[in-house]
Amino acid sequence: MLLEVRDLHVEFRTRDGIARAVNGVTYGVDAGETLAVLGESGSGKSVTAQAVMGILDTPPGRITGGEILFQGRDLLKLKEEERRKVRGAEMAMIFQDALSSLNPVVCVGDQLGEMFVVHRGMGKKDARARAVELMDQVRIPGAKERVKDYPHQFSGGMRQRIMIAMAIALEPALIIADEPTTALDVTVQAQVMDLLAELQREYHMGLILITHDLGVVADVADRIAVMYAGRIVESAPVHDLYKAPAHPYTRGLLDSIPRLDQKGQELYAIKGLPPNLMHIPSGCAFHPRCPMARDVCRTDVPPPYEVSEDRASACHFWRECLDG
Amino acid sequence: MAEPVLEVSGLVKHYPLTRGILFRKQVGAVKAVDGVDFTLGRGETLGLVGESGCGKSTVARMLVSLERPTAGTIRYRGEDITRLSGKALKAVRRNIQMVFQDPYTSLNPRMTVGDIIGEPYEIHPEVAPKGDRRRKVQDLLDVVGLDPEYVNRYPHQFSGGQRQRIGIARALALRPEVIVADEPVSALDVSVQAQVINLLDRLQSEFELSCLFIAHDLSLVRHISDRVGVMYLGRIVEIGRDTEIYDHPTHPYTQALLSAVPVPDPEAREHRERIILAGDVPSPTNIPSGCRFRTRCWKAQERCALEVPALAVPEEFRRTTGPAAHDSACHFAEDVSIRRSAPEVVLPPEETREDHVNGSA
Repeated sequence: MLLEVRDLHVEFRTRDGIARAVNGVTYGVDAGETLAVLGESGSGKSVTAQAVMGILDTPPGRITGGEILFQGRDLLKLKEEERRKVRGAEMAMIFQDALSSLNPVVCVGDQLGEMFVVHRGMGKKDARARAVELMDQVRIPGAKERVKDYPHQFSGGMRQRIMIAMAIALEPALIIADEPTTALDVTVQAQVMDLLAELQREYHMGLILITHDLGVVADVADRIAVMYAGRIVESAPVHDLYKAPAHPYTRGLLDSIPRLDQKGQELYAIKGLPPNLMHIPSGCAFHPRCPMARDVCRTDVPPPYEVSEDRASACHFWRECLDG
Repeated sequence: MAEPVLEVSGLVKHYPLTRGILFRKQVGAVKAVDGVDFTLGRGETLGLVGESGCGKSTVARMLVSLERPTAGTIRYRGEDITRLSGKALKAVRRNIQMVFQDPYTSLNPRMTVGDIIGEPYEIHPEVAPKGDRRRKVQDLLDVVGLDPEYVNRYPHQFSGGQRQRIGIARALALRPEVIVADEPVSALDVSVQAQVINLLDRLQSEFELSCLFIAHDLSLVRHISDRVGVMYLGRIVEIGRDTEIYDHPTHPYTQALLSAVPVPDPEAREHRERIILAGDVPSPTNIPSGCRFRTRCWKAQERCALEVPALAVPEEFRRTTGPAAHDSACHFAEDVSIRRSAPEVVLPPEETREDHVNGSA
């Protein structure tokens, strides 16, 4: 396994109390595999990724438990200096908002070249040449002429390509993409997702795709982990999960997508609101919104039950859910 | 179609680009909306879809008189509201209300929910006498599914979905005939979106509202709309009943847009053929001649650069009565199933590609 996150806990200390953002997350990605992490805002999907990358704001954030094994090493035991060598070179991240993630006063060629100067000790000229190659590779038209342009001179889709170029620059083994196409229009989103999938195949990278869009997941992912209130409630191969979800939250999300044959009828809606991380409900965090909840759900936290060899669901009644 | 409530014709909004401080001169214009026509029938929901920058929100803002059109007319019950001012405009505005996209910035944080929903009554006191207002506000809260006891709370005490309900209650306060909803759920979490969509749907039939529903989520628009218009660079390129647009699109842009939407079904991954358009939308300051979609279109020919295609039923379908016979602004409109219609990646002709690179810079 390329990356294994084991029982990770992250909390944020705020003036109003402790927000438990991640409460025991376990997942893994293999080389060449795409894992989609699906969840709504506040589910802890981005915080987990930030902990893996080592870019969590500490304080107020704090990793209170767990292991992050990357190529066999526990990243949490490394010194910051060693971590820095891993970051960018061996694992890289693509952010949602390319405009605010790129430096507005440095031309894109220098920003791309910096990767080679810092990590590979290249001279400026060679780094610039590599930057042009990278821009070609992510299919930015006229790369040679545009290498001196600044981020604001590119369109949203092109900026996201530059982010991707920066991520693949040092041919990392793992890429984490945090909502990479959420800010883009559908026609551009399709271009960017295609490019990402192609580069992943070419370099045989592991990809963690963080998203809230069930459509994007179905298009590209191999496996999916659904998060709710800082826990993984269901993890499964993509085909199995869409065919028959084993957790009522996943079922609710799938059912609330408008479908052709249900036009004119009410959409299925999950009742209630996502939980407040300061006061996560007892037992199963989803129980106040769950149509199947019983007494045991209010008291006992459901462990990840094994549904099949490569599938788990954190629901006491996963069998019932699976049967519909 | 039912009798029209709103008739929009030739609607144009250009924002001037100027240069110089002392001697301002106009050097160009952002053509946000560039000739839009449609009608909205009584009790009907018209969905407007398109990518960012296509002008759909500007259309919405003109309908509620937040922007004045550069040209064109908006007729509400036969009267052109773009020419009205003062009292007459105020009277019309009462009947056309808007629900905004962002429930976090469209509610005044210093006002209580009761004051926010009751404010329309201050402006139009004839609708509700003073003593009656509090009760009316509480009724509205109840209608949108919030506890009527919440009147004295402030917006920050509510979640995004609840705030959007407050925005909807405010829009309903004056019992309008037309609701313009500009991306009403795109700021909300997936599990909450369905709740708000159901609410809008229910209120529409309950109050017999006519609704213009703007969104970029195509499946959501299909769910809620009777008719759908597709916009590209300031114009409607195709409009028709929902099944006409979704199952028999004849405009290449609509076909590309529909095929690019991710489908929440992994089984479809292998079978689905997608049209992936090259490049981005050209800048609205420098719109291509002729058909504005030609720079990204795989069907583009010389005629497309010379002749602006009109939004009408394409000639080849004019004598038919099938679902392909709806308005589509393309010289080469074709009714093909989107699964087999086009190459996977679309490369526009070389020369137009150059313009496009400059355009997006």
